[in-house]
Amino acid sequence: MGEFTSGFFMPDQATNGRVLVVDDEADIRKVVRMTLQKAGYDVLEAENGEKAIETINAGENRLLLDVVICDIRMPKINGVEAIAYFRSNYPRVPVIVLTGFPDTDMATSMLRQGVVDYLVKPVEGEKLREAVARAMEQRELAHL
Amino acid sequence: MKHLTDSAVVSTIAPVRVAILGAGRGGTALLDLLHQIPSIEIVGITDRDLQAPGIQRARDLRIPVTDQAEELVRTHGLNLIMDVTGDPAMERFIQSHKRPAADVLSGSAARVLWELVRHEAKLQAELFHAEKLASIGSFAAGIAHDINNPLQLIMGLAENLAEETDLKTVHEQARDIVEAVRRTSAISRDLTQYARKTSARDDAMVALNGRLDEALKIARYATSFHDITVRRDYQPDVAARGNQDELVHVFVNLITNAVHAMERGGGTLTLATRMSRDGVTVSISDTGCGISPDISGQIFEPFFTTKDPGKGTGLGLYNVKTIVTKMHGKIDVESLVDRGTTFTITFPPATETPS
Repeated sequence: MGEFTSGFFMPDQATNGRVLVVDDEADIRKVVRMTLQKAGYDVLEAENGEKAIETINAGENRLLLDVVICDIRMPKINGVEAIAYFRSNYPRVPVIVLTGFPDTDMATSMLRQGVVDYLVKPVEGEKLREAVARAMEQRELAHL
Repeated sequence: MKHLTDSAVVSTIAPVRVAILGAGRGGTALLDLLHQIPSIEIVGITDRDLQAPGIQRARDLRIPVTDQAEELVRTHGLNLIMDVTGDPAMERFIQSHKRPAADVLSGSAARVLWELVRHEAKLQAELFHAEKLASIGSFAAGIAHDINNPLQLIMGLAENLAEETDLKTVHEQARDIVEAVRRTSAISRDLTQYARKTSARDDAMVALNGRLDEALKIARYATSFHDITVRRDYQPDVAARGNQDELVHVFVNLITNAVHAMERGGGTLTLATRMSRDGVTVSISDTGCGISPDISGQIFEPFFTTKDPGKGTGLGLYNVKTIVTKMHGKIDVESLVDRGTTFTITFPPATETPS
């Protein structure tokens, strides 16, 4: 139950929203999934920017993906490039950065590009859920 | 025109032929310095004690060793006798046996020379350490990444354990936490070991494959290895005489440069070791941007850098070359723009097995 590792989705299941977690470390994707599933979110995973772009472009994700949580330091397409892609192709989807490196310049530049939150690992589960909830509200506002 | 003639004369002039008496610390330091200078020929070294450190070093360097001080002092065509025994009887011995044409450096003159050599070695070591510390500054991003990721895992698992009721999951996640803590503590261990001042202990036979692997681990903090394939092409049991801390730093420098050269688009990093009768080679190759021919002559010069101001010290390859030369090795570079670069270090053949 609730195990979505690809774009697979059960439409009849009650959900608070669909979140894509982009991180090259499987461990991080695992705990973020665990943390968010507790708050009733469906979680999709991608291990780099390239996979993340594939995932958001796959079928119903184009319409149903609500929030992206994205790391910066990743192989293939890195976080900065992936986020630029999301912002220009899916401006309705809020992006949260979750990174291991507290870098003020990077944070400023990301927030300027419309990223809604810049979180530095390790982040407490509650803080992460709050950030996702805030992002969900912003997405709904964007729909109005 | 005159200048050209002069330099032609200089290059054909016979080397200064030197004999060293005394193979203790002073003799060893002189040996290490003088044998690097092409215009000096060391005709031999002697000591009452044939187990003295300088005697072993001379053997490694293929410099003649003798226990016949008189014979050495009387060598034909000898220009200079360097007496670092500090023994007044030796001075008298030399004066009564040497040929008239040979100059003698002994007593406090020899002592001052030795102090200069030691001072130079100390400055070199400080420069080396300063550059190493400066390079560790660039590790910040890598360290933060490698510490904060396991911390995130620990945080998530611990939060879950506070509510988890399934005993099997509890056990599994507790084990994952222990594993993550181990990974994190390994980082501080690796780095503190690397950052410490180079140990002053004597040179020993160093197993090169292990040191390359250690350097690879450290270099991962210095730079991102994303989209880099690492190929390790090691011949077993390859060793060279040197200081292992310095060697690790040499390898970290070359590996980091290689990965930086492949920043755009990734590539393959190849580490290879070979041993033959002619010597031991370590080569570090990348498939990156290459070094343009108009700067390839300068890369080993101090303060030469292609990086932006504030990014590189310009001392990395300079220190690499200094250490390799000190180990009686040489370093060569082959590079093609947009194809890649190979640095090859060649050490003299090993005479012992690694300790």
